[in-house]
Amino acid sequence: MSMEDYDFLFKIVLIGNAGVGKTCLVRRFTQGLFPPGQGATIGVDFMIKTVEINGEKVKLQIWDTAGQERFRSITQSYYRSANALILTYDITCEESFRCLPEWLREIEQYASNKVITVLVGNKIDLADKREVSQQRAAEFSEAQDMYYLETSAKESDNVEKLFLDLACRLISEARQNTLVNNVASPLPGEGKSISYLTCCNFN
Amino acid sequence: MAAAAAPGPRAPGGDGGGGSSSSSSSLSMERIQSLTDLSDLEAAYGRLCEEEKVVQEELDALLEQQSTIENKMVALHRMGPNLQLIEGDAQQLAGMITFTCNLAENVSSKVRQLDLAKNRLYQAIQRADDILDLKFCMDGVQTALRNEDYEQAAAHIHRYLSLDKSVIELSRQGKEGGIIDANLKLLQEAEQRLKTIVAEKFDMAMKQGDLPQVERFFKIFPLLGLHEEGLSKFSEYLCKQVANKAEENLLLVMGTDMSDRRAAVIFADTLTLLFEGIARIVETHQPIVETYYGPGRLYTLIKHLQVECDRQVEKVVDNFIKQRDYHRQFQQVQNSMIRSSSTEKIEPRELDPILTEVTLMNARSELYLRFIKRRIVSDFEVGDSMASEEVKQEHQKYLDKLLNNCLLSRTMQELIGYYITMEEYFMRETVNKAVAMDSYEKGQLTSSMVDDVFYIVKKCIGRALSSSSIDCLCAMINHSTTELESDFREVLYNKLKQGFPATTFQDFQRGVTSAVSIMHSSLQQGKFDTKGIESTDEAKQSFLVTLNNVEVCSENIMTLKKTLESDCTKLLSQGFGGEQAQAKIDSCLSDMAAVSNKFRDLLQEGLNELNSTAIKPQVKPWINLFLSVSHNIEEEEFSDYEANDPWVQQFIVNLEQQMTEFKAGLSPVIYDTLTGLMTSLIAIELEKVLLKSTFSRLGGLQFDKELRSLIAYLTTVTTWTIRDKFARLSQMATILNLERVTEILDYWGPNSGPLTWRLTPAEVRQVLALRIDFRSEDIKRLRL
Repeated sequence: MSMEDYDFLFKIVLIGNAGVGKTCLVRRFTQGLFPPGQGATIGVDFMIKTVEINGEKVKLQIWDTAGQERFRSITQSYYRSANALILTYDITCEESFRCLPEWLREIEQYASNKVITVLVGNKIDLADKREVSQQRAAEFSEAQDMYYLETSAKESDNVEKLFLDLACRLISEARQNTLVNNVASPLPGEGKSISYLTCCNFN
Repeated sequence: MAAAAAPGPRAPGGDGGGGSSSSSSSLSMERIQSLTDLSDLEAAYGRLCEEEKVVQEELDALLEQQSTIENKMVALHRMGPNLQLIEGDAQQLAGMITFTCNLAENVSSKVRQLDLAKNRLYQAIQRADDILDLKFCMDGVQTALRNEDYEQAAAHIHRYLSLDKSVIELSRQGKEGGIIDANLKLLQEAEQRLKTIVAEKFDMAMKQGDLPQVERFFKIFPLLGLHEEGLSKFSEYLCKQVANKAEENLLLVMGTDMSDRRAAVIFADTLTLLFEGIARIVETHQPIVETYYGPGRLYTLIKHLQVECDRQVEKVVDNFIKQRDYHRQFQQVQNSMIRSSSTEKIEPRELDPILTEVTLMNARSELYLRFIKRRIVSDFEVGDSMASEEVKQEHQKYLDKLLNNCLLSRTMQELIGYYITMEEYFMRETVNKAVAMDSYEKGQLTSSMVDDVFYIVKKCIGRALSSSSIDCLCAMINHSTTELESDFREVLYNKLKQGFPATTFQDFQRGVTSAVSIMHSSLQQGKFDTKGIESTDEAKQSFLVTLNNVEVCSENIMTLKKTLESDCTKLLSQGFGGEQAQAKIDSCLSDMAAVSNKFRDLLQEGLNELNSTAIKPQVKPWINLFLSVSHNIEEEEFSDYEANDPWVQQFIVNLEQQMTEFKAGLSPVIYDTLTGLMTSLIAIELEKVLLKSTFSRLGGLQFDKELRSLIAYLTTVTTWTIRDKFARLSQMATILNLERVTEILDYWGPNSGPLTWRLTPAEVRQVLALRIDFRSEDIKRLRL
């Protein structure tokens, strides 16, 4: 596995209520498809896409989790090793937005403290059914110190941007981390350090 | 570019692009006439001259082409007569083709007419047959019904239904249309009657549980075009059987004695019986459905059966939840995981049986779902062999929907969801216990908790694996990774953090035994744990055992990963898990393997700690003793040293003594690494003192001897090649042994041969300067 040809490997986990379009976002990004009538995800789905950013190969492992409550204990087990979390809600569904604090509590409890969280409002193609204003979401994300973006998996709006921007941020975080680590060797037992890189060539 | 230099009015169209050969000039006559200024005139004249030149050139070029064009014209003239010939031939050919075509048309139209006639004849015969059949059916149905020969009657109706409707129309228009009309009416009445009779008879047979009769009428439905109704009625009958059997089983369960051998998995057993029953039904009745209803119909049958299956599963699971107190136990686990308070914490051992039972229940369900999936898929495959891609996808969708949305799947997903949380709790609590009960037996390298912890982790993942659910397995692999990486590594890390106690050994040697000073130094380094370590010896041993533990952990993780890999391969080869199952497992396992490296890092850190707190403080003074031994010596002292070794022998004895302790207490691999660290340390420290000493010629020889003994000893205690580590020192010894300063040039630069110098020219000079008999001017003069 470690012999594969890439400079960075990141784990991205999508979370959020059922039916907000997590699977569609992933399919759109990884396969360029928008499968209508997508059934509910069972457990977790797993996709890989390698992108090139500034000449560097970045392998993205994308874990698409089931939103339904009964899969919660499965999905929670993936938080800890995630480099980034994409917290998704549906702009046409007030309920999915109102559940966000609950999701944030989960992140707090299970994820690494270095994880990058992105808030994504999906389904902007259904503008006439919008229930969550952009301003509200922006304020919320600002208060929680999250990057925020609105997307449409159907129209392919901002989907590419979402993942590529995230990859860029992950690269710069990873760089900083190794810099810090080189200066002072990390204390073991912190236990939260993430295995970012299996075979990267810096410098 | 052709803009006129002159002001003045512009002639219309006069400023067209210059250089085009067709327009006479870029300057019109009028414009020239209107020019008054001399310079303008000159400019205009100049331009006209230029244009003239261009025109001249163009003319020349055209003239040059004249001869080629003439040649071409001649050739064309020569071709003229030939063309006339060709035209004549072509006309003749066209005439022939037209003739042939007409002839062919003539012939084939006759054939076509024949063909048409033949076809019509066939149709006529077919219709006649059909009409005869129709009559035969009309008569036959009546007789068959009268004789209660329903199969025969249905066969007639089937024939009638499969007749072309136009035939029926046709026969109505015939001479005896009236009679046929009446007969047709009778036939339709017979059809309706037969449908009611079959339905009634089927219901009656079902009520009486008369399987042969049920099957008999089940076979008749498709003949009457009632496929769906037949399947649904038959399923109803089968469901009833499933329900009866399941109820019986459930009653048995409720009455099971708790001491029964299977009591702990009785609900899993009940589910198994239910699934096996349904599977047997499918197995038995699939051939009839296939034969009489055609392929692709099994889905409908199983869809009906699944409804009953779900109903029965619900009952069993409800009872399971009630009797085993599943939800309450889960609640309790969750509470104690959120608040780490120890109030009424659930004993992990109590969870053991229920966790096993749940995984068994899920495994049975997965097995059953896989069975029906395989059956439906292969049935669809036969039915859809000619179908379009869309139809196939549609069918796949039906199947997925059935499998994913059935209550059985959802119920099991829910149970497994609770299970994972409880299993995680079980693992964590049991690991904590193993850590708390950690014990060490003399003569062992590791303590009990390492084996215990890995036994527990293996057991938990193994149980998750036995559920046959890939997601459940991956979740437990993830939780195990977390448990090992944070919680358990933390335990070992904290033990190492207590450090290896500053040793009393060197103090004894120096004759300083003041307990106060030991206390003092320990306190300064913060090594005094508040818990109080009973004795330094115990603390030392604890440190060494922990190092061994860390190493074994790192190895155990890799072993665990490999074992799991092969276990998973087995599971996947049985067809469990979706398309991404392998990728998911691989990813989770590689995360686990990464933890192994973290333990390696921890080991390295512990060793560094040991090296710097236990080895360095002792080794350094021993090496410093070198300084007290003069190397500025003459023949007499040299031979005295020969008899009474001044330094190196004692140093080796000391090292030997010190390392025995570690050799006994550490695993061979760690001990080896430690000696490696120690040799590096010795090399560095010895170099330091060397540069502080001075040497005579014999002193250099003495050092060379000392270094050789040291290297010889160290080679025996490590498996590493230490030559490399001592390369610099050996080269220094060589320099100290030179006769003259300039002799260095025999070994330096182009004369170095296979020797690679590890010393810089400056260092070479520095070492040369240690020889008191070498003059500094000679050294300065050297060209290195």
